[in-house]
Amino acid sequence: MKIFNPPETPDGTAAVELKNVSLRYDDGPDVLSALNLALPPGSFHFLTGPSGAGKTSLLKLLYLAQRPTMGSVHLFGTDLTAAARRSLPAIRRKVGVVFQDFRLLDHLSVFDNVALPLRVAAAAEPEIKSNVTELLSWVGLDDFMDAKPAVLSGGQKQRVAIARAVVNRPRLILADEPTGSVDDVIAMRLMQLFIELNKLGSNIIIATHNEQLVARFGYSRLALADSALTELPPLSDGNAAEYDQTINEPQA
Amino acid sequence: MISLRTDLPLGGDSASRFIPWLVAIMIFLGTLAVSGVSVFDTILSGWSRAVTGTVTVQIPALPADSEQEANQARTDRAVIALTDLPSVEGVRVLAHSEIDALLAPWLGEAAAASDLPLPDLIDVTLGDGSTTSIEELRSAVTTVVPDAIIDDHRRWFEHLIDLTEGFRLLAIGVALVVTTALALTIVYATRASLAEFREVISVLHLIGARDVYVATQFAKRTLIAALKGSAGGLIAGALALFAIGLLARNVESGFLPDIELTLGFWVLPLLVSLFATTLAMVTAFTTVLSTLRSMV
Repeated sequence: MKIFNPPETPDGTAAVELKNVSLRYDDGPDVLSALNLALPPGSFHFLTGPSGAGKTSLLKLLYLAQRPTMGSVHLFGTDLTAAARRSLPAIRRKVGVVFQDFRLLDHLSVFDNVALPLRVAAAAEPEIKSNVTELLSWVGLDDFMDAKPAVLSGGQKQRVAIARAVVNRPRLILADEPTGSVDDVIAMRLMQLFIELNKLGSNIIIATHNEQLVARFGYSRLALADSALTELPPLSDGNAAEYDQTINEPQA
Repeated sequence: MISLRTDLPLGGDSASRFIPWLVAIMIFLGTLAVSGVSVFDTILSGWSRAVTGTVTVQIPALPADSEQEANQARTDRAVIALTDLPSVEGVRVLAHSEIDALLAPWLGEAAAASDLPLPDLIDVTLGDGSTTSIEELRSAVTTVVPDAIIDDHRRWFEHLIDLTEGFRLLAIGVALVVTTALALTIVYATRASLAEFREVISVLHLIGARDVYVATQFAKRTLIAALKGSAGGLIAGALALFAIGLLARNVESGFLPDIELTLGFWVLPLLVSLFATTLAMVTAFTTVLSTLRSMV
């Protein structure tokens, strides 16, 4: 089974669009320089590049933690640089983020951490309970629902962070090194989660150093180097059947 | 029902421990201030009940060489004139022995017994809903006895009313100071919490929380803290008032009317706590909103 990027919507609106975007911090040099990018709805990309190339900065622009110094960022047809502050929460709810450092709330249980995006969107508690429970069991943390993040291993925290990012079925999922702290089996399982969400229509951008991971899946690459962005073809044709099997192994 | 669940680790921060104490002290002061005014009002209305509806008419004694009968005749004329007034319910001429008794504390028994030219005093009781003004009464009496002196106790009473107004202004002043201090401190405490929880709030924002969502959590926290403080302040206030009540009971009765701390008496302090609690909550809410507006 080969996963294709769904075609662009009829009206041609890109899900993610950067127009001549530059970013610099204070008086420093440009971290990102005159980037242009248009991703169609339902796309799946790896964001690659050496450390310090600006992967995290680019993601920050997309999850609205940072505004570009120049140019404009568009999500689902909305110009974020021109959007009123009060309209930002609604846009952010369409974006799920897996932070590199997880950013879990230490005083909340695993369950409450994952439930957070639903709670801020005022979802009903029964719905929250069923969604969160289902997702936590998918990422293999059913036994840790009441645990606080402090007692979890790095890999477990990463899974909580991913569960929190996807729990409200966002239209865009941004993941910063989401498989950095987990073993191969778990990494495959998490990738499967992203693939399933992509099939349901979410755009996925995964920033990673992991060449193996990139090579294993047939998705286009966005390569950041020297503050410029280049779209590269997949490293492989991504034999989905092969890794579907690998992913399903733990359950067998 | 309002859910008390919060996503912020509120409760462990310095503001959560400090707000109840602050509110308690404010409520304590507020309770004492409003209770002071209300006790004073009670005392004053007690005195007021005792003196309103009565007027004292004083018929000065004629020079010592005048006839005893002439004095008596003047008093009789005044009594007749007063009795004729429809609003007058009762007229009683004080016996000389009673006047002596009134003077004894000031002049001593011997002086009272002497031949001082004492005036006659007529105690006039006015009927309820009396429409006769004091001026009509004065003209009725002075027509028959030109040098009669009519005392409706108003002058004495007006000073007391001024005093009460003074107390009331003082209480309002205390209330204003307490309210401002409360609001300002809540603003600073909330800002301190916001700084403390900057990282958590930033995560909440990034996953799509509106400012109102964050502000509501602070408001709930402040509400709970303020309710605790109110309860403490009210209890402390009640104990203080109870102690004052015990001391007041030792004061010569008659001067202070009985002050009973009835249920009605507590309405005002309760309103004060309700107001302070609401103020604290609203202040926290608006502080969070205005502070967050400056964040990304």
